[in-house]
Amino acid sequence: MFFSREDFIREDDLKVKVGFFHFSSCSGCQVSFLDMFEDAVEILDTVELVYSNMLTKRETVPRMHVAFAEGALCIEDRRHLSLARELAEKANIIVTVGACASFGGVRRLSVGSQPPQPSHQSFLPLTEVEILKGKVKYAIPGCPPNPSLLYNFMLALLEVNEDFLQPFEFMASSRDASGYDVVKEVINKGLCVGCGTCVTACPARALDFNYTYGKPTFNPLFCVHCGSCLASCPQSFKPYPQPVY
Amino acid sequence: MLKLDRSFLLGKVKAIYRVVSKGESPLQLILKKMMEQEIIDGVISARKEGGRIVPKLFKAPSEIELSPLNTFFGVNTLLKKAIQKYHLSRIAVVAPSCVMDGLNKTQYYGIGCNWVKTAVALKVGILCTGALTQESLNCEVLDLLGEREEVERCYYTKEGLAYGLSSGRELLVNVEVHHHYVSSACKYCLNLSARGSDITYIPEKEENVGIFIIRSERGGRTLGLLQKEYPSLLKFSSLKMSDISHVEELLKKKMILNIDSILERVEVGLPGSKWDGNRFRKFYRVWNAIGDFNIEEVF
Ligand code: SF4
Ligand code: SF4
Ligand code: SF4
Ligand code: SF4
Repeated sequence: MFFSREDFIREDDLKVKVGFFHFSSCSGCQVSFLDMFEDAVEILDTVELVYSNMLTKRETVPRMHVAFAEGALCIEDRRHLSLARELAEKANIIVTVGACASFGGVRRLSVGSQPPQPSHQSFLPLTEVEILKGKVKYAIPGCPPNPSLLYNFMLALLEVNEDFLQPFEFMASSRDASGYDVVKEVINKGLCVGCGTCVTACPARALDFNYTYGKPTFNPLFCVHCGSCLASCPQSFKPYPQPVY
Repeated sequence: MLKLDRSFLLGKVKAIYRVVSKGESPLQLILKKMMEQEIIDGVISARKEGGRIVPKLFKAPSEIELSPLNTFFGVNTLLKKAIQKYHLSRIAVVAPSCVMDGLNKTQYYGIGCNWVKTAVALKVGILCTGALTQESLNCEVLDLLGEREEVERCYYTKEGLAYGLSSGRELLVNVEVHHHYVSSACKYCLNLSARGSDITYIPEKEENVGIFIIRSERGGRTLGLLQKEYPSLLKFSSLKMSDISHVEELLKKKMILNIDSILERVEVGLPGSKWDGNRFRKFYRVWNAIGDFNIEEVF
C-alpha cells in the first residue's frame, strides 16, 4: 500500500500528498498534469500537491506518498543525481510520467539532438536508474500523456484499482518503446484488427494507415518513443471493462 | 464452462427491429436524421472512395454514406481529428466490434486521445464475420465463383453471408472459405455480434432493409425517437429472437472455426503480445473448465 495512516503528518490530515518533479524534459508532461488538475478539481479534496516547480513555492523536497516525475535523468547533471537520491528516500512510490521518464522518449536513440547544455550529453529513463528501481511502480506512456489518462490514473491510484493499474506496472519494467512495438507485438503476431487506434494515439505521426493492407505502417524517423501506440492498441493488454448492457 | 449459446453469440438484447426505409440503407438514413435533429454532431465510419473503402468523418448529414462492404479498417484513426481538431462532442461511431474495442479502451484508460469518454454519443456495431482487404475479397470471390467479379455489397440472408456482385448476381459465401480469407486477427475474434455497442446493425439483401438489435437504453431511446418523428420514412417492425435464428446459426458456425484457431494457437504456443496477461491461454483454460465464467472477464 503506498499510503498508510502513519504517513500522515497530522491526525486530521488525510490527504494523499503528491509531488511533481522535473528531470530533463520539455515540461509538457507537467503541463498535462496541471491541466488534469484544472479539469478535475474534485481530486483536490483528497489530494494535496506538495511539490511542483511550477505551482508550489517549496524549495526542499518534502516526504510524500506519490512522486510523479517527468523527464530523463541527465548523467552529467549533479542536481538530477541528488533529486534521484531524495526521491528514493522521500517518496513512497514513484510514477514516471511520459516517455522521457518511462522509456527514454525523445532522449533515447535520438543521436545528434541538441542537448540543453554542452555538458549535458547522456540521458537515462528513470525506470533504469538503480536507486529508483524499487520505487518506480508505474510508468505512464505518452508524449505527453493526455490529461484524461492522468486523471483516470489518479482516480485508479486513489481507489487502488489494481485492474486499471496493472498494465502501467508492466510498462515500468518495459525497456524502450517505439512504433516497432505494434509491428512486432501485434501485426507480426497476427493480432492486428486494423482498427487504427494506434495511429490516432501517435503524437508524432510516425504511424500511418495503409488502407490496401488494412494495417498501420511505421516511419521510425518520426518516432519519439512514447509507447502510446502499443498501450492504446486493443490487442496489447486485455481485459478492460466492456460495456455490458 | 463457456458455451456457444445465445448470450455468448448475440449478447444482451433489449429489442430487435427490422427497419425498412425510403430509398437508402436504414442505418444511413437514421444517422442523417439524428444529425439533422442534433442528437449527434458527427459520424465516424468508413465509405467507398475512388474504388476503395476508407475511414471517414462525416460532419454534415448530406455527407453520410456508409461502407457497403464489411470493411472498416482504420476507423479509429479519426478519433483525434473529430475530438481534438473539430471539438465534436456527440459522435456516433459505426464499425464492427474490434473498432469499438479500441474505442472502449481509449475511453476507459484515456490513452491515445483526450476525453473520448464523454465525446461518443452512440456506438453502432456492425455484425461481422471477418474483415477482408480488397485483395483477399477478390481472391475469395475467385475461389468461390471460379471467375473474377466485383463485390458491391455485403449482407446477410437466411442462408448466411452473401455478396451482391456487380453483375446483379448474388454469391453465397461458404463460412469455411471465408475463414481462410479474413484477416488473421479475425480468426481469433470472439465478438462477432458487437456485444457492448448500443445497437448492432445487420444489413439485409434489399439495400433499404436492415435489422437493428437494440442493446442499451440509449440505443432504444434514439430509435424510438426517430420512429416517432419519421413514420413515413422509416417503418419499424418488431422481431422475435426466433426471427434472427439464421444469424445465430451463422455466428455459431464461424465461432466454432474461430475457437478452433485459438485453441490451435495455444497448443502450438504462438505468442500473444506483451502485457496481454496471456489471454489466449486464459481462454483455453476457461473453455475447458467447468464452472461459470463471465466472458467479459476473459476478453
Ligand atoms: S515525454 Fe514528451 S512531453 Fe513529456 S517531457 Fe518528454 S518530451 Fe516533453
Ligand atoms: S510510433 Fe508514435 S505512438 Fe508509437 S512510440 Fe513512436 S511516437 Fe509513440
Ligand atoms: S491499434 Fe488497431 S490498428 Fe493499431 S496495431 Fe493495434 S489492432 Fe492494429
Ligand atoms: S471478425 Fe472481429 S476482429 Fe475481425 S473485423 Fe470483425 S469484429 Fe473485427
